[in-house]
Amino acid sequence: MSFPRTAHPQVNATVDLGASAVRYDGFLPSSAAAVTPTFTWDGARGGLTIRGTYLRFEGGNRSLQGSVGASVFTQPVRGWRGELSASAGASSYAGFPSFWHALGDVRLHHDSDRHGLVIGATAGRSSFGTTRPARPVAAASIATWLRRDQVAVLASVHRAFIGDTQYSDIDMTVRARQGTLALETSVGARFWSRGAGRGVFGEGSGTLALTERIALVFSAGRYPTDPIRGSIAGRYAAASLRVRLHSLPHRDPPRLVNGSGASGDPPAPVALAVRPERDGLVRLIIHGPAADRVEIAGDFTQWQPVLLAPATGGAWEALLLIPRGVHRINVRLSGGAWLAPSGTTRVHDDYGGDVGVFLVP
Amino acid sequence: MKRVALLAVLMVATRAAAQEPRLERVDPAARAPVAALLDSARATGLSTEPLIQRALEGTTKGAPADRVIAAVRRLVADLGRAREALGPSAAPPEIEAGAAALRAGAPPSVLTQLRVARRPPLTMALAVLADLVASGVPADRAAAAVLTLASTARDADLLEFRRAVERDIALGAPPAAATAVRLDASARAARPGRP
Repeated sequence: MSFPRTAHPQVNATVDLGASAVRYDGFLPSSAAAVTPTFTWDGARGGLTIRGTYLRFEGGNRSLQGSVGASVFTQPVRGWRGELSASAGASSYAGFPSFWHALGDVRLHHDSDRHGLVIGATAGRSSFGTTRPARPVAAASIATWLRRDQVAVLASVHRAFIGDTQYSDIDMTVRARQGTLALETSVGARFWSRGAGRGVFGEGSGTLALTERIALVFSAGRYPTDPIRGSIAGRYAAASLRVRLHSLPHRDPPRLVNGSGASGDPPAPVALAVRPERDGLVRLIIHGPAADRVEIAGDFTQWQPVLLAPATGGAWEALLLIPRGVHRINVRLSGGAWLAPSGTTRVHDDYGGDVGVFLVP
Repeated sequence: MKRVALLAVLMVATRAAAQEPRLERVDPAARAPVAALLDSARATGLSTEPLIQRALEGTTKGAPADRVIAAVRRLVADLGRAREALGPSAAPPEIEAGAAALRAGAPPSVLTQLRVARRPPLTMALAVLADLVASGVPADRAAAAVLTLASTARDADLLEFRRAVERDIALGAPPAAATAVRLDASARAARPGRP
């Protein structure tokens, strides 16, 4: 199977603004305010996640955590996919020495529509403070998941060695989604542990989307010590407001399209952005072309060419009444050939060329 | 004799344009056959609007008459198949979106399953299905993705899921895997709200 020719990167940036009540093992309970920005980039064959958390405790102490992780997938072979990933992070709290870690992971996925298996191995280094040498990290895990409709159940077993510390975890996670509400709950147990504590833990969280950009997040539970990342066990209850800073792009970034420019030069990238506004009006924005005139035609113009107006940043735009549903569009630069812009799904138009298909939600 | 035949064609074409003024823009040689296709579609209860649009598209692109006629005839067939799969109560936008899905490669059985799984209107679900398949996502995987969400997701959720699923299906994973599997400890550490 080859990758779809229009598989495109997706970018998501959010920030969580929240408050929590927490009691770390061995510490007095405290409340804290937190800011957590998260950036994710999902490409055709992998992804990147960058996350940070700034915590300010009621006593005035502060905690700062940051992590970055990236993964790459292989093409599937007989139902198996390989994943290579790397992650690194660091955290500091008040005047305590800082933790940092750097890990590499290899995983094998075997999936079907309703169940799957994941086998993984991890290796890396973890360090506490600057005076002690970094400790080697080695871990292995195996997990299986089942899914039915909007409910997924994941069970995993994990065995880790961090220097002289070692532990095993077994846990089960259930995820469910109903409309705008996403719920997740997990229970687990740690055993065969030396230096990482043992016992039972469990957490639950709910995310309620209020609008396209704002969601409420609630969570609570007890979690175990993470010797790799330097977090100590604790119990907490938290609530936060999640704000999406960056809209998911509708389509591909600008790229070359078929056909030649009016000047005969190599074709310029032409990309369409669709911005629904109120009262059925939709703003169509064409990015990229170096042209003295940009026209569009589609079913919403009765295939009459419509001249776009120059906008900021070299773009061209028009505000049109376009009903919800599927629409076809072509773009013409400086009176040249009709092109299907990127930012749409390109299909054959029955006339020897391509047409761009887009949705107005 | 030739002049009489030409006059007859022009008269038919003029009559067709009078019934649908937009057909005046269409090549006279295509006008009458297209009008006949519209009449035929109308008689079977199909909406003629997408057919008119297809003819206008060919006109704008300078397509020869025979190509315009073939395109409209093909769309009539697609709309008919979509209506058969979706049922006689399907609305015109649903049929149009269904035709796009069929043309992209989705099997008719998926449209029928969607009709059972989801309350009308099906337009957005069909459009998402067509979009995924037309983008090169295997039809069975795209169908599984849309059908999984069909019964409960809002249109906005479908659109958002389509964006995420397209990437994961491209990686060979069933759409279920896109939301089901977050295995590693870093995912646990990133649990929302955990201080």
